[in-house]
Amino acid sequence: MRAIGASAVALPEGAAADKPHRTVHDAGRRTELPGRKVRGEGDEPGKDATVNRAYAGLGATFELFQKVYERSSIDGNGLPMTATVHYGEEYGNAFWNGEQMVFGDGDGEIFLDFTIAVDIIGHELTHGVVQYTANLTYYGQSGALNESLADVFGSIIKQHSLGQTAQEADWLIGEGLLAPGVSGKALRSLKEPGTAYDDDVLGKDPQPADMDHYVRTDRDNGGVHINSGIPNRAFYLVAEALGGHAWERAGQIWYAVLTGGELAEDASFEDFAKLTVAAARQKYGEGKELKAVTDAWSTVKVPVSNG
Amino acid sequence: MRIQVKRTGGFAGIDRHAEVDTSALADAPEWHVLAEQALADGRDTPVIGVPDGFQYQLTVDGRTVYCSDPRLTEPQRKLISRVLKEGA
Repeated sequence: MRAIGASAVALPEGAAADKPHRTVHDAGRRTELPGRKVRGEGDEPGKDATVNRAYAGLGATFELFQKVYERSSIDGNGLPMTATVHYGEEYGNAFWNGEQMVFGDGDGEIFLDFTIAVDIIGHELTHGVVQYTANLTYYGQSGALNESLADVFGSIIKQHSLGQTAQEADWLIGEGLLAPGVSGKALRSLKEPGTAYDDDVLGKDPQPADMDHYVRTDRDNGGVHINSGIPNRAFYLVAEALGGHAWERAGQIWYAVLTGGELAEDASFEDFAKLTVAAARQKYGEGKELKAVTDAWSTVKVPVSNG
Repeated sequence: MRIQVKRTGGFAGIDRHAEVDTSALADAPEWHVLAEQALADGRDTPVIGVPDGFQYQLTVDGRTVYCSDPRLTEPQRKLISRVLKEGA
């Protein structure tokens, strides 16, 4: 079931839908997008490590979706992948603008260059995949699911590129991003939400690990980067219980829900959890996969039974 | 003039707030022009921005407007970076 066929977006001549078509631009510390083109598909690496990391991260992301999920790029139809690096001055952020990824250099005091962690590159591109599939509304629980899917696939992209099993993986988002002197190992932990950092300037990782600690807030679009800890941990628990590579059964279940057409744009955690249970049953029957999924949601206190 | 900037969202989901009181500043007139331009381009209600984008709340002498990355005007961008740096 490869998504090859009439493409809505014209691919460059000679480009195949099963190969990435990457372009990296340099904003030169300004904020006009996309900026000056500095590396196209097939070009040799240049001197700028940031450009090279962005290019490689786009490739690692393309490869996971293509090889494991038989999905051709972000839209399933070979969409060219575009990234801009060196955005803004001391800009401590990365985002997906609906069409491309954008990376800042960080201020050097709290955050370093946002291309340092391949899971961040994967995270931003997964926002693109979500936009082309379930299109989860970026607010409240559906927004936290959007964030969680970006973290889950971002982490899987790192694990896949390193060939790690669920046991070997660090399950961190943004490992290496925090500047020297910041007390923390990363920005988020799927394995242990709330433990990634605890720093005088940055504060403490605010992620809850279960629904009893769900954070109700107006900030951050209703806490999309906060409450994502709950479904993040559920995914980790499934992958850990099943063992082996997280992108295999655990990833297949999550990917089936993301792309299956039944996940509503305004889905709640409970809606999502129930769909993962249904997907586990449909794909693997009444086996250990189903038990792993129901146990995981039970541990994070998201109800999945209809009773 | 009291200029407050509140930033929320972003990949890290970490908030930042800062404010500048221009009353004792030598370059107060310059701040005032910048603040008025930034406010003129803002929205009256918060909007959902792009995934992982920063969102900003600008308050000048009690009046609040909203804006978000990557669609900031130059005065907004300049005001935000000056306040978050100088007032933090």
